[in-house]
Amino acid sequence: MTAEEFIEFVEQSGLEKAAKEVDVVTTGTFGAMCSSGAFLNFGHSEPPIKMVRCWLNDVPVYKGLAAVDAYLGATSMSETKPFEYGGGHVIEDLVSGKEVELRAESYGTDCYPRRSLETTIILDDLNQAYLYNPRNAYQRYNAATNTSDHILYTYMGTLLPRYGNVTFSGSGQLSPLYKDLNLETIGFGTRIFLGGGVGYVVGEGTQHKPQSGFATLAVKGDLRGMSAEYLKGAVFHNYGTTLYVGVGIPIPIINMRVAATAALKDEDIPVDILDYSVPSRDRPIIKKSNYAELKSGKVVIGDKEVPSSPLSSIKVARKIAETLKRWIEAGEFFIQRPIELLPNYREFKPLKIKKREVTVGDIMMPLKDLVLAKPEDDIKKVAKMIIEKNIDHVPIVSEEGVLIGIVTTWDLTRALAEDKKTLKEIMTRYVITAKESERVDEVAKRMAEHHISGLPVVDDVMRVKGLITSDDISRKLVGRRGV
Amino acid sequence: MKVKLRYSHEAASKPVLAEIILKTGLLINIIEAKLTPKEGEMVIDIATQGQALKRALEYLRAAGLEVTELRSLVEVDRERCISCGACISPCPSRAIRFDESLDIEIDERRCIGCGICISACPRKAIQLI
Ligand code: SF4
Ligand code: SF4
Repeated sequence: MTAEEFIEFVEQSGLEKAAKEVDVVTTGTFGAMCSSGAFLNFGHSEPPIKMVRCWLNDVPVYKGLAAVDAYLGATSMSETKPFEYGGGHVIEDLVSGKEVELRAESYGTDCYPRRSLETTIILDDLNQAYLYNPRNAYQRYNAATNTSDHILYTYMGTLLPRYGNVTFSGSGQLSPLYKDLNLETIGFGTRIFLGGGVGYVVGEGTQHKPQSGFATLAVKGDLRGMSAEYLKGAVFHNYGTTLYVGVGIPIPIINMRVAATAALKDEDIPVDILDYSVPSRDRPIIKKSNYAELKSGKVVIGDKEVPSSPLSSIKVARKIAETLKRWIEAGEFFIQRPIELLPNYREFKPLKIKKREVTVGDIMMPLKDLVLAKPEDDIKKVAKMIIEKNIDHVPIVSEEGVLIGIVTTWDLTRALAEDKKTLKEIMTRYVITAKESERVDEVAKRMAEHHISGLPVVDDVMRVKGLITSDDISRKLVGRRGV
Repeated sequence: MKVKLRYSHEAASKPVLAEIILKTGLLINIIEAKLTPKEGEMVIDIATQGQALKRALEYLRAAGLEVTELRSLVEVDRERCISCGACISPCPSRAIRFDESLDIEIDERRCIGCGICISACPRKAIQLI
């Protein structure tokens, strides 16, 4: 039976009876899986070519392989229609039997003299065409929201400003890997439903992190025999292209532990809602939720009811679990015991940037070169100072050097024209700032977002340490890179 | 009910909308307007139904406007749609939801034609009509 039927059965008859009577539980998921693609062998032309660069419908295909072998990645984007058409769409077109344009270039060798070719291919023209996805079917996945005041376009979909919505991914109680939470039955060699055809697990997926419920799979299967219903090219606005992949795995109920995890419900599967407006690998957790709350269509965050919606298709996930069940019942699909189980612990390493990056502290104007002022200072006096020093920004500080406002040359000019007297009357109190340790490109982005040309650099208690301007950034950074 | 109005040459100079609001007391929301001194096109939402709506439309027609009733502002291509739901929560007017069979349905009375669902859809299955 399907995982959802199994849940019901357990509720009615108890876990023990269910574990005894049910042999196999089928699962399914249908979501955007960026780490997907296909190995293709085009066959040799006459005269033959050692393809060095190659495109399918203008989508660049990886050619760091033998003469006519290639890897088409789902996120590779068309050079003529980027953000509209990509590798995922080519895979969908091939599987639908559509004609695809093949273009290739080479430098020509003694054994492979041809230097270019242009033709069309269909799936049946290829010698081999198999899906090989390095990371599919995340056990569970984080959900996303946005606390900033502008709309975000991410791989988690469109996120409206100020907690406008929550999006989530994965199929929850139908999730193949979650139903065998301790990875007791799934491993290298497991036969699975893949893209509407038959595929195999070929090992742990990249970024496999089973100890925290983020196990992943690498899978492989022949594209011939798959169906475009379960392989759909997709685009995330302003992010890029990807492929929706249908994966279904049969879970043999080999013991009570497996039965217990196969019976886990949406409310038992935790999901953290993360703030995607923080552009960091460690995004803050806004709320701890679960698939039941997320699937209900609204999530309560603080005192606000926020609409939530999936990115993966639950409807198609159910259909996959149903189809796999029918295949097994009809004797068309055999359960394969894995040759080797997946590791149930993997360290999850971040990428360290070893080369020192330029920080704000490296290029800012230091405190000693700045003109600072007090709120009660006379506008004329300050105007005279900035002319002498030839600067545009004057941070306004308290007795202790704590930032309380800022004025620019423009503010001063206008203030003089309007006959204002002290800085207090004209200063901007809400000041955007930077820290010495920040990377320069982040600060440059912040300046652009707020349309400002200079930021005071402050320490943790808001004492002014310096000032960084867009001029500093363009002059000094360009100088450093030796352009 | 949303309607598309097309202003001919003469009608453009008359304040038809203002008149209809004054006369009928109906709430009318202008959703989109492309106007030149000579002609124009406008999508409005008339917050009423039944007889009152019929009268309002008659009035607009009598004033020399070309009136097309809009079923909805956006349309889903069911062939392309994969029922993922990525369009649902970004909709600012909560016009989209799953029906019982987990297909999406768009409530045309709520839709304001903002187009957010169009860019949010990973399958490019939604279009303005
Ligand atoms: S156009 Fe805007 S209001 Fe209408 S359904 Fe799409 S997102 Fe919702
Ligand atoms: S986002 Fe597009 S594909 Fe997904 S449910 Fe909405 S219309 Fe269908």
